[in-house]
Amino acid sequence: MTTISVSAVPANAECRSVLADGRILTVTASRRPRANRADVKCTAPNAPSIAERMQQVVRLARHTEARFDSRDQVMLSMDIVPAADERDWELAAVLADRMVRGLQPIQPTIAQGNSDAWHLGRVDGTVQVGEGAAPVDAVRITHLGALIGHADLSAAVSTVRTWFPLHSGGINDTLGWLEVSVFPLEAAARSEEDSITAPGLELTAQQEVKQTLNAARHFDGKALGRWRTVVRFGQPRFQGGSYQLALVMADRLARGREFVSRGRIIATGCSSAWHAGRVDTVDGRESKLELIFNQVNHGDRVLLPKDWQDCLPPGFAAGLRQKGATLACIDKIGMI
Amino acid sequence: MRLFSRRRKQATDTNGLGATLIALRLDDGDLAPAQSTVVIFNAAGHARRAAVGKVSCEQGEMAFCFHPGPYTVDLVPFAAAPEWGLRLRFVVDAANPRVSQQRFDLYLYSETAGRLELSDFAAAVQMALQAELAQGALDLPPCTSLEEWHAFRAGLNQLMYMRYGVTVDDCVPVDVGDEIDYATILQARAAQAAEAERAAIPADTAGTAASTVATPTGLATCLPVGQMSVAEQDARALRRLFLELPALSRELRLLALPEGLDIFQQQQSMLLRLGMAALNVNTMPSLAWAAPDQPLPAADQTLRCAQALIAQTALDEAWPLLARLQLASPEQWPSLLEEADRICANLETGLSLRRTTYVPRTEPSL
Repeated sequence: MTTISVSAVPANAECRSVLADGRILTVTASRRPRANRADVKCTAPNAPSIAERMQQVVRLARHTEARFDSRDQVMLSMDIVPAADERDWELAAVLADRMVRGLQPIQPTIAQGNSDAWHLGRVDGTVQVGEGAAPVDAVRITHLGALIGHADLSAAVSTVRTWFPLHSGGINDTLGWLEVSVFPLEAAARSEEDSITAPGLELTAQQEVKQTLNAARHFDGKALGRWRTVVRFGQPRFQGGSYQLALVMADRLARGREFVSRGRIIATGCSSAWHAGRVDTVDGRESKLELIFNQVNHGDRVLLPKDWQDCLPPGFAAGLRQKGATLACIDKIGMI
Repeated sequence: MRLFSRRRKQATDTNGLGATLIALRLDDGDLAPAQSTVVIFNAAGHARRAAVGKVSCEQGEMAFCFHPGPYTVDLVPFAAAPEWGLRLRFVVDAANPRVSQQRFDLYLYSETAGRLELSDFAAAVQMALQAELAQGALDLPPCTSLEEWHAFRAGLNQLMYMRYGVTVDDCVPVDVGDEIDYATILQARAAQAAEAERAAIPADTAGTAASTVATPTGLATCLPVGQMSVAEQDARALRRLFLELPALSRELRLLALPEGLDIFQQQQSMLLRLGMAALNVNTMPSLAWAAPDQPLPAADQTLRCAQALIAQTALDEAWPLLARLQLASPEQWPSLLEEADRICANLETGLSLRRTTYVPRTEPSL
């Protein structure tokens, strides 16, 4: 019996990588029934050693996946041959292999990076999502799970990324991201706000970030004065406080004190009383809901203020569920 | 004759039964403690429960005794969130009179060697739970709402009953930050990384020999080292498949199917495939021999064993799938049958690669 897995997944995927000499290499992946063949087959024109290396890299990177599926054979091919000592195409091969099997909800177009520990998912590279004409978003990643914001399980610094809707008048609406990195302090800090930095933000916004984290950690009860924290924003110039819920969730996840979603966390909400764990409503409901609905991927978790629950457009929750995401309208952070 | 052997034997240590020990194997003539239950397996693997007291086995029989509990364990559902846990209280229920084989008895017979400690059991449950959550079979997202929690609880209860045969009494989310400190874990990782870096510096100066370690080819030397040898792992995996595949097929056959010829046909084909896999296991060639009088090299034995472990993993995924099928509504059936197709394919792949004939590697000649 020959079977091929999930039919909704495309049978082809491609990912590009820029070589050192400026040429652009395309890795194309396709899927077909396995039929007693090898799980991965790689070809590179006139370069069997590079094909062998590609197969090795892809197989090692598959060790980080939770779900093993032996029904498909994935064929990977390169259109041009990179130099023998060049390694930055490796990430493109790994991502193409994941995209063609439907494991990569965010589909990057250009990726470069390499790793000495693919079996741990570590990688040193950059990833761009979107075509050249659209605003290109180049993201630096240090492990494969970083594309959906997960913390690296083998790194000493715990880094978690979450997303929030940035409303800037219709066509330019995007999902902005923020990233919280924590590392334990040797000695307790004098005050919580000294141990938090947010480089690149203007002073008032920095102060707000510090106050939010400080208050939310008061609510947590077991986090004060123990962590050195760095907060980064993908787009440091914005107005308003609707990122606060995303910030608080990223902080809790980075400190290992929150359940982990399978995909990204997309949250909007602010609060005047984080020390009580309360979540208040924010403005721009219609446009933000529309943006979230268009951007959401399989496995994502959407967190909205409780007040929005009765004002959701008809079919919003069902539509999200259809896309494989889940929704919660909350008035309080923490367990249930 | 048994008079003499009985006198020489030490009494089996039953301390901790019901607290840190769930079950242990007893020998003929041992005294099972009060409140525990004795299960006796005959040579064919059929179980019967016996009265507490002095255990008397026939020829070829094997006796276990277990305490029904309740037991309490703390589980960490996500490896990335070690300070947020679930406190699980479970019992081993009295025998269900409607089934011919109790699931817990099967678990004892096929997966327990000697003693079943509570900590080992908790580790196994935690791994099963983490795998289910990572694959999306159970959902426990951040800021869980009450409905999501109830759905999770229902799935967890069914999983624990179908996979391990224990009944979940109570399950609450807890903050385990007092026992597990994430900050210390991170500091230990930093220390490890620094150590690795220090070890790498002299190796780099040594020359080419070390540079191979950095490339993935060097990885083949650090295969996972378990407590069990390759032969034991392989034998254990095959024994589990031999014992559990028929039981699994029986449970699948008993499922109440939703209306529709399509689903019925898919279920029949799944049963057929499981039956063929069971036959495949029953006739599996031995690990250590390539052909009569021709021993297999150790490296190839390791490869064969790895394939048997793939089949065992598929079996581990099949029990939770059965639990999900039992709770599924008709619209969930197609996706679950697709999952069943994947598991059957993995099982078949593992078994067929485990039994491939050994061809000695030769260098290509011109």
